[in-house]
Amino acid sequence: MKPRTFTQSMSWLHTWAGLLLGWALYAIFLTGSLAVFDKELGWWMQPEIERPAGDAAAAAAAQRWLQARHADAGSWNIELPGERAPLLGVTAGDPRRDGSTLIDPASGEPLEPRKTVGGNFFFRFHFTLHLPRNLGIWVVGLAGMAMLVALVSGIVIHKKIFKEFFTFRPAKGQRSWLDAHNASGVLLLPFHLMIAYTGLVIFFVIYMPAALDAFYGGDRDALLRDGAPPMQASEPARGPGQSAAPAPLLPLADFVRRGEAHYGPGMLAGLRVNHPGRADARVIVQPRLGSRIELTKGEALVFDGVSGQLLQTPVPTRTSLLSQRVLAGLHFAQFGGYPMRWLYFFCGLGGCAMIASGLVLYTVKLRKQAKAPRRWLELVERLNVASVAGLGLACVALLWANRLLPVELDRRGGWETVAFFGAWLLCFLHAAVRAPMPAWREQLAGAALLCLGLPLLDLATGGALDGQRLGVDLGALAIGLLLGWAAWRIPAAAAQPRPRPRCAGAIP
Amino acid sequence: MNAAALLLALSLAYAGMLGLCLDMERHWKQLASPRLPPAARRACAPAGVLLLALAGWVAGTLWPPAMAAVAWFGMLSLTGLVLVLLLPYRPRLALLLPLLGTLLAGLGALA
Repeated sequence: MKPRTFTQSMSWLHTWAGLLLGWALYAIFLTGSLAVFDKELGWWMQPEIERPAGDAAAAAAAQRWLQARHADAGSWNIELPGERAPLLGVTAGDPRRDGSTLIDPASGEPLEPRKTVGGNFFFRFHFTLHLPRNLGIWVVGLAGMAMLVALVSGIVIHKKIFKEFFTFRPAKGQRSWLDAHNASGVLLLPFHLMIAYTGLVIFFVIYMPAALDAFYGGDRDALLRDGAPPMQASEPARGPGQSAAPAPLLPLADFVRRGEAHYGPGMLAGLRVNHPGRADARVIVQPRLGSRIELTKGEALVFDGVSGQLLQTPVPTRTSLLSQRVLAGLHFAQFGGYPMRWLYFFCGLGGCAMIASGLVLYTVKLRKQAKAPRRWLELVERLNVASVAGLGLACVALLWANRLLPVELDRRGGWETVAFFGAWLLCFLHAAVRAPMPAWREQLAGAALLCLGLPLLDLATGGALDGQRLGVDLGALAIGLLLGWAAWRIPAAAAQPRPRPRCAGAIP
Repeated sequence: MNAAALLLALSLAYAGMLGLCLDMERHWKQLASPRLPPAARRACAPAGVLLLALAGWVAGTLWPPAMAAVAWFGMLSLTGLVLVLLLPYRPRLALLLPLLGTLLAGLGALA
């Protein structure tokens, strides 16, 4: 059918932008919602670690460890334990290149928790879909643009946006799916617009490189240098081979106390020490994200490590960069503490519901049309099952693999990833051979069972239960009940005296 | 105390959305007692707006202003969604929920 009116062309656009990128968008939304609790999931995935002591004690333990083993290193990095992830990590050198060592602040001995991809897997999957990084960012960007297109065209084609603001009529087939899609779309519209737009803004340099090319000749580092706050205290210039005289470093616990006096107790992310053990030692105290909406990566207090003098305090970000950082901060949701995280998490799940109901609505509508191409309908139905229910199952399967794989397994994180994609692939195969309705029921039931079993698995294989791990367990339990209810509703609908067309055609 | 204030903010946001909802004839007929005068319906929208503003004020005690604004939008959306889901299945609970929430928040503040 060729669109004739404006509304029809918008409707066409909404359908295809929503359908073709809807599968990717659903994956982005679900893993993004889980990534809200990435540190908590990571904590759950390393049950060997227990909750250590306060920041000052942790810094002292880290200093003892580094002093004993890496006294002559060029720099030290210390990751302080926090409310969300009570880990004490130390590195001599660059933590990204050299990998950090976790140590026990009480005994000062290194910890060797199991290797895991951690909650970070969901975070990375959220913006790369596990594709090569740049390709993934482009695909996700395309999906983000499609989401904006679908949102705006969706507003245009929604005929009764205010009249049906609070309308949901269950058990009425297509009507119900449309109501659910509209309600989750319209009520959460501020969130949807914000999250899609700010998601695109994060990678503005990649998506819109024209200004970067024009002003900096494509040199990204030059742009970042220009945006960075001016250095108030520059390092003393020194030729290669020369180094400052040895001088003892002040206790790092002192710097933690002074940093906490500035940023508040528990608000420090870590310490960096440049040239430890020398007269020109610098101690850089980095705050945790989240005291502001702005994504304050790289902000720090700089102290002289020998005299303890404060050399540099953070300066306010330039307005142009601040706009970008506030928008990015809105997306990252590191501010506002746990209540804000829960709001973002539930809004994200609402987004999943909107996308999933839209995908189902498409098949329900298509099935009613006599001339609909059956093969296409079947393909969409199968893809819907595996990408909606199957992905949920794969996410829980990752947590199961984390506890069931042998602890000493080589390349353990890689095997966890294999388990995730293996489970997802099985869901695609299952959806390909089963009729859609039983496939929905079985995959939802499977995901529900895995979720419901997760607390038991934690009790059987885990370490001490604390707030974080208990939270993951209870969350899994609640989601499991919800998924179980959804699975249970499917046969109930099919057994109604007046079978709906969407069920009649699907059951063999 | 913090949890109580959060619960209060959520209850107020929900009550505000309920007010806007009752302003519509369809939902008024569905939820309100037929003995109530039609004039009562007309008071619902202003009352709803006032309650939403109050929710924003309570959010302002929990977060700095800019964060409170973000949270306010989130609370409106989510409580609205809860209302939409309760309406067809548990209409009575849909009416009582803000009272229960406020009561619980009050108990929490006292405890």
